[in-house]
Amino acid sequence: MSLQFLVDGLLTGSMIGLGAIGVTLTYSILRFSNFAHGDFMAWGAYATLVVVGAIGAMFGKVAPIGALSFGWPLIIAVIIGCALTGLMALLLDFVLFSRLREKGQAIIVVMASFGASMALRSLLEFIFTSRPTYFSRAIQIAMPVGFGIRVTPDQIALLVLTVLLVSATHLLMTRTHIGRSMQAVSQNPALARVVGIDVARVVRATWLLGGALACVAGVMVGILVQIRPLMGFDMLLPMFAAAILGGIGSVPGAVLGGLIIGLAEAAAVQFIGAEWRAAVSFVILMAVLFVRPIGLFGRRER
Amino acid sequence: MSEPVLEVRDLVAGYEPGVPIVRGASIRVDRGEIVVVLGPNGAGKSSFIKAIAGLVPVSAGRVMLDGRDITAVPAHKMVGMGLAFVPQTENIFPLMSVEDNLKTAGGILKPREAAERIARMYETFPDLKAFRRVSAGNLSGGQRQMLAVARALIVDPKLLVLDEPSAGLSPKFVSMVFSMLSDIRKSGVTILLVEQNAKAALAIGDRAYVLVEGKDAHEGVASRLWDDPVVAELYLGQRPHAPRGGDA
Repeated sequence: MSLQFLVDGLLTGSMIGLGAIGVTLTYSILRFSNFAHGDFMAWGAYATLVVVGAIGAMFGKVAPIGALSFGWPLIIAVIIGCALTGLMALLLDFVLFSRLREKGQAIIVVMASFGASMALRSLLEFIFTSRPTYFSRAIQIAMPVGFGIRVTPDQIALLVLTVLLVSATHLLMTRTHIGRSMQAVSQNPALARVVGIDVARVVRATWLLGGALACVAGVMVGILVQIRPLMGFDMLLPMFAAAILGGIGSVPGAVLGGLIIGLAEAAAVQFIGAEWRAAVSFVILMAVLFVRPIGLFGRRER
Repeated sequence: MSEPVLEVRDLVAGYEPGVPIVRGASIRVDRGEIVVVLGPNGAGKSSFIKAIAGLVPVSAGRVMLDGRDITAVPAHKMVGMGLAFVPQTENIFPLMSVEDNLKTAGGILKPREAAERIARMYETFPDLKAFRRVSAGNLSGGQRQMLAVARALIVDPKLLVLDEPSAGLSPKFVSMVFSMLSDIRKSGVTILLVEQNAKAALAIGDRAYVLVEGKDAHEGVASRLWDDPVVAELYLGQRPHAPRGGDA
């Protein structure tokens, strides 16, 4: 038996988890399921791709870092891509969600996000076509690390990046004023205002953070698999399953949920058959809703 | 004559435009006072105090805090203006630790300043210090009220406004909360509160207003208001307690 599925599962789980952080924060702070979140991932990946191309046009070919498949232009591009994706989320909130939110019916906002999702996806297909593209076409040699497991340098780097980002997000949420303000708004928006928290500012921070993490997740998919307009939408169900499994509003929960779903998907491919992969998130989602609707780290309020 | 901290003139306010709940109420709170707003159910007491705190839209009238017009100031900026509000229920963040609850109020302060104020609150409220790492949702009713008041005091407000601090508390905690408010006033904080529990509130208050149908109908010295026949009548014709003499 090969344990390779563990590495595959952890990687898929990292991408799902990073995306699920945005899903869980939007759900708990803005109180709606943002179906366009998957498309933020795709937009992040394409935005990064464009910036990499622009850097390439300005500075010519740049050698990759060590054994990795990419060089510094991609790192700069991801940072710019995160900012762009965050700004796009803000813009979408400004023109669409904020106006509907004021009317106070969550279901309308959810439907609007479904429309936004389709629009964002179609726009990508219109600009970039639906043909898959790649950050790099170089083939990486996977190194054996024992127990029949092989990993590429890119995979190691991205797992480390995930750990760093998740830790940073957790610290932001628990140790900084804006993080505590986000928690406060998710628990009681009226009281948050009384306490002196500017809810509009918290909403902006939520979109920026969720958008930026979605961009990183999208770029990870782009590096390890490929970039295509549907890449994010395809991860929507696993991301929601992860957010609900972890407990809505919990950042560590979303990440743990993502890892569990990633590992379960990889295990399903290994032991049952690849055609069952997509069913895994659905089964887990249903099981959580039946057995423990508040999720692993979810806590009942009051 | 002492100087007013809060002056509310002819305030009209309500959630829906054209449907005022507060219909021209005026009050005044002087520095260092405890002022109580009483009134029968549905008199608009809670809406009145929320309108002062920026939580209910004001359509006419003025709210002056320390000589500054704060009428149209959004709720989240009131703390910065020096007005701290303690809502009636759900006035803590239940899933956050006691300490994080206190920290949420420190947004307008420098981090060091906030830490000093929190340390001072722990001296005033040793119970909170003992539970600092505990989720606030696990506190008792009285401790929750204590936490909500401590959080309001973190910013050193010019005026502390409380909406029915005794609501939902057992009698033991009610007296605890009122003696706490009395102590807070002794430390120099001016307090405005709305109360259903008239007897307990008048016992610690300096002056009181009776609100009827969204207007201030009567004003008086707190200690004498309890026996005031006008007040009894305003409370839907019921005497708050039987007259001692038995001459009725």
